[in-house]
Amino acid sequence: MKRRTFIRCLGCGAALAVAPGGELLPEFLGGVQNAVAFDYAQNLSSVEARYYKKLEGGGIECELCPRHCFITDLERGYCGVRENRKDTYYTLVYGLPCSVNIDPIEKKPFFHFYPGTEAFSLATAGCNVNCKFCQNWEISQTRPEQTKNIELPPKAVVDNCRERKVPSIAYTYSEPIIFYEYMYDIAKLAHESSIKSVMITGGYIEKEPLKDLLTQLDAVKVDLKAMREDYYKNIVHGELKPVLDALVQIKNSGVWLEIVYLVVPTLNDTDSEFVDLARWVKTNLGADIPVHFSRFYPQYLLKNLPPTPTQTLERAYQISRAEGLQFVYLGNLPGHPAESTYCPDCGELLIERRGYRINKYNLDGNRCHKCNREIPGIF
Amino acid sequence: MVVKYPEAEKKGRYSREEYRLILQAGLKQLSGETSTYQAVKKTIPNGTIGMKTNCLTGRFFSTPPELIDALADLLTTNNHIKDNQLVIWERTNRELKEAGYKLNASSFGRRCLGTDTNGVGYGSNFETYGEVSTRLSRIMTDTVDMNINLPVLKDHSLAGLSGGLKNMYGAICNPNKFHDNHCSPYAAHVSALETIKSKNRLTIIDAARVQYNGGPGFMSEYLADYGGIIMSTDPVSADRIGLEILERLRSENKLPNLEQAGREVKYLQIGEDIGLGTADMSKIELTVINVDQNGTAHNGGLL
Repeated sequence: MKRRTFIRCLGCGAALAVAPGGELLPEFLGGVQNAVAFDYAQNLSSVEARYYKKLEGGGIECELCPRHCFITDLERGYCGVRENRKDTYYTLVYGLPCSVNIDPIEKKPFFHFYPGTEAFSLATAGCNVNCKFCQNWEISQTRPEQTKNIELPPKAVVDNCRERKVPSIAYTYSEPIIFYEYMYDIAKLAHESSIKSVMITGGYIEKEPLKDLLTQLDAVKVDLKAMREDYYKNIVHGELKPVLDALVQIKNSGVWLEIVYLVVPTLNDTDSEFVDLARWVKTNLGADIPVHFSRFYPQYLLKNLPPTPTQTLERAYQISRAEGLQFVYLGNLPGHPAESTYCPDCGELLIERRGYRINKYNLDGNRCHKCNREIPGIF
Repeated sequence: MVVKYPEAEKKGRYSREEYRLILQAGLKQLSGETSTYQAVKKTIPNGTIGMKTNCLTGRFFSTPPELIDALADLLTTNNHIKDNQLVIWERTNRELKEAGYKLNASSFGRRCLGTDTNGVGYGSNFETYGEVSTRLSRIMTDTVDMNINLPVLKDHSLAGLSGGLKNMYGAICNPNKFHDNHCSPYAAHVSALETIKSKNRLTIIDAARVQYNGGPGFMSEYLADYGGIIMSTDPVSADRIGLEILERLRSENKLPNLEQAGREVKYLQIGEDIGLGTADMSKIELTVINVDQNGTAHNGGLL
């Protein structure tokens, strides 16, 4: 790998290469020790994609996500990063992330998966849906030739983690499903070094690729964007049913699962939707799955809406707790008590958080230090 | 309008001079002017002029450099438009190079560049029309005052027809999001985006050769020599005429029509419904002319 412009730091804390939007963040570079630079990649990759079939009469059908794009020669799928060339399907982003950071695992958010640790976080351009509220649209809603990408093959990712003693790799920011091959190969290699892999996803994936992928993952956070098909159709440009199916599949696989629900004012914030969500989770996944209600900020194509009022989030919290969910959190509300973890039995404060920082940690292994109740998760 | 040149030296492929004769005759007919200079001036006012090509298939079946050169020659007649006011453009430099264009991002001479040129890219503001929200190439938003849309005529396995409206997918950052439902209504909505609608002045579809099946990738077995160009200030009409030619060639080659093939072109009627142009053949004022080797136009009869 050529070393010029990709900045990394070997010290602990954080390292940042290219942020969402593809720009180096100069403010980060102050204080970086042992900085090493990498060149931006000049070309896209041409690694054959997995999960597609060639069609009689020409063209291919992508079988990675429920969209099942029909793609003819020189065209790309909806994701914009997988291309048909003479009826062989290629991923254009293998080993070419456009965003690389070391983040607290709480930022994903994972609250029950190695709290207080860091995750080497990366993303490529592209996404298989088009949410009008996307917070990372600069990378998710573009094609890879429009982002600044760096060459970072799977081995380099794992080596970086080992050098920095980062215990996990997070596939995040855009939609990792669309860089499936890259993610899968990193995760497989990482396991050989006892490094964990976590995926932050919208969950819009077909059963077979998900089944294979789950053998390499340690945790998945799914953005369940609504409990209404019309919201998925009009706001997300996807479908709800396959996401619900994926949630059940993940839960049944034994891989750790957390859910985020972004509460968008006037679009998915009614009591009945919160009730439906809580009941569905409790029935299909269990009451002990962490559910994070996250605050919306105006972005991308929904700049006309205000940020989610705190009261709305608190209403979601109260309804979910009343419906029996045991671990409900509020996100993007730094300092709110619902950022912290409490024992469902005795009410003891177990992990006190402020933003991504942990102030108090009162777990004894995976049990409440006061009443000894087992807390689900990987601690 | 359709301008044909039956006497081409090499059937289906025109030289720069032959394209010049064709374009000259077409512009005169379109403008009603008798002098080339006046015809050019009336059709394309002075300003920085974009020429959006379709170079998806590289050297195989792209907007020919000979056509672009001939058009540039005419636009610069009597210094009406200066060379450095002409911008030949496409999504990427790679596509232009592979199609035989010589890149020039400088301010000297005719510019020729992809949106991926350093310092160009896509604008930061979103434009929205109907189902389409996107960011446009800064060549379209910032660089040019007007644009001439110069696609090739071909079948498209998703859109049905790839002509002028579909070619403007090359002006937006996220074309992959707009191929569902055979590109309807998206192809019409992309061209209805304010910048595109206001700047697209002329559509010239190269139909010297037509790929009547298997597009947008190149498949030589489906190439036919049609021997003409389609020229119109109405982007929907230009495509509608292109569709007639495409369907005729499909029929002649014993292929089902596009509706039977499962990719009916619905976005043209949508284009008419939203006021972008005319899709109804009975309302289109179609002129077909044949140009001879002296550049004289003759009534060309049927399409």
